[in-house]
Amino acid sequence: MKIPPLLALYRRVAQFHENEALIGWLQGSRVVVWLTPQRRKTILVVGAIFAAIAGTLSRHTQWRDYRHLETWLVPAVALPVLLGIVYLLYLMAARFNRLPAFVRARPQICVHAFFWALLVSIWLNPFPSAFAAAVMALLAGSFPYLAWRCGYMLLCGQRGKATATKFTDHFFYLFPVWDGTNTPPGKGHDHLSRAEAQTAAAYSRSILAGIKLLLLVALWKGAMQVIGAVVYGDPRSALTGLLAGHNLGIPRLRFIVNGNVTPPLGMIWLSLYLELIWECLFIAAKGHVWIGMLRLFGFNVFRNTYKPLLAESVMEFWSRYYYYFKELMVEFFFLPTYLRAFRSRPVLRILAAVFAAAFFGNMYYHLLQAKHPLVEGDFGRLWGLLGARLIYCFMLAAGIAVSMLRQQQLRGRAGGLGRSRGGVRRFRRIAGVWTFFAIINYWNVTVGVTIPERARSFLSIFGF
Amino acid sequence: MEPGQRKSDLIQFLRTIQRPDSPLQEIDGDLSLVESGLIDSLALLQIITYLEQTYAIDFREKGIDPGELRSVNAILEFVAREITA
Repeated sequence: MKIPPLLALYRRVAQFHENEALIGWLQGSRVVVWLTPQRRKTILVVGAIFAAIAGTLSRHTQWRDYRHLETWLVPAVALPVLLGIVYLLYLMAARFNRLPAFVRARPQICVHAFFWALLVSIWLNPFPSAFAAAVMALLAGSFPYLAWRCGYMLLCGQRGKATATKFTDHFFYLFPVWDGTNTPPGKGHDHLSRAEAQTAAAYSRSILAGIKLLLLVALWKGAMQVIGAVVYGDPRSALTGLLAGHNLGIPRLRFIVNGNVTPPLGMIWLSLYLELIWECLFIAAKGHVWIGMLRLFGFNVFRNTYKPLLAESVMEFWSRYYYYFKELMVEFFFLPTYLRAFRSRPVLRILAAVFAAAFFGNMYYHLLQAKHPLVEGDFGRLWGLLGARLIYCFMLAAGIAVSMLRQQQLRGRAGGLGRSRGGVRRFRRIAGVWTFFAIINYWNVTVGVTIPERARSFLSIFGF
Repeated sequence: MEPGQRKSDLIQFLRTIQRPDSPLQEIDGDLSLVESGLIDSLALLQIITYLEQTYAIDFREKGIDPGELRSVNAILEFVAREITA
């Protein structure tokens, strides 16, 4: 079939990272030839040293608001201890077979048990001075950032692949220069080494793929500015002033949930869908920076966000929206449960694994993320932050479980209800996925209302 | 079971779990199942169950390395290692 010239031109421009002539030109350049895998890794390791220092100082600065600590000695003491713990975990991964049997069987649980023991000791406050307590708090507050990164390092050990690795092979993703959230983009050594470019040609492809993502960041941020100005009239958007107060006046979802505004029902639904689009743009822009950086350094890994709004099932959306979070949930919660629980009962096995990941794992991840109230032992604040999330995670897990079981039934059926190429059926599927995530997102926005208040306003969107 | 039989059984099984939108006409031994679109998290689970049931492989202690299931040949090598271990 002949492709229209304009479409062909668009594809050529959009797929510039696969242009062989461009790749050929780039792979001959001095920079690409000089930046061998070893040199790239050295740069990342040096950067990781600075990232470790900057990260610890930054966390301490945040902590001062809670502990009123003025001394720089706290991070100066905490950082070497933190590096020592991380090195110890590396040794555990590298010599995994020599670990006691109970650690080998449950390495992740052992690490998290250590963290909870640290927390309990902070809550009980047995330390003789405020200084010691502050160092402990900073260590505990750094744990959520490192927990999953070190978790991947231990997984590498569990799979017998860390024996021949050096500490520096892991160090650069434990304290990545591209920072990011508690979720490690690119996962750990296993995944990164498989995706690492070893030749100048492969590195050139990786660089171009990285540049493409960074260009997309600019595009998505621009789209957010437009939506902010045209849809929400957000004063933070640079374009709002240009429109001289003209906008659609649709409120952000958090204002509706919080009861600040009471728009008509139709506008509430519009706000729900627009919030989903906004969230997708936001997470795509963030994730493309991390993955773009990884690709510039030769790790040509999957995107974090890949066209989630075109997903045709709940399961597919979850995988496309925040890939590395989903992978984290799968690696640390789903698979361990799937491999151990209800092995002779297929449906129950999937249900247990999905709820372990999308409900329990998701809740636990966000519990650790709320590091300040957690370390402070402020359980009231923790409930305020995470209570509504319990319902969000339950609905998410239920949706994924149904989607997964349904997809499993369809597998292998010739001409079954598979992914459709176009038409009304595809539109309905995509609309169904949008609607599901738009609705459950009502329980995900952070606001100051109680669960019963949120439940009342939630029911009102269905006319109750 | 002979290696050749193992391979044909595995390919036959993979055909039963392939995605309806990307059916594989030919499954080459070294074809990346990820890039071909066959392996996603759901297919991975089905392959795990197949390996547990067919070869009595117990993944509980060692866990799963999805890289070991990246192609037909990789799966067969993994099976060979596990049943001789």
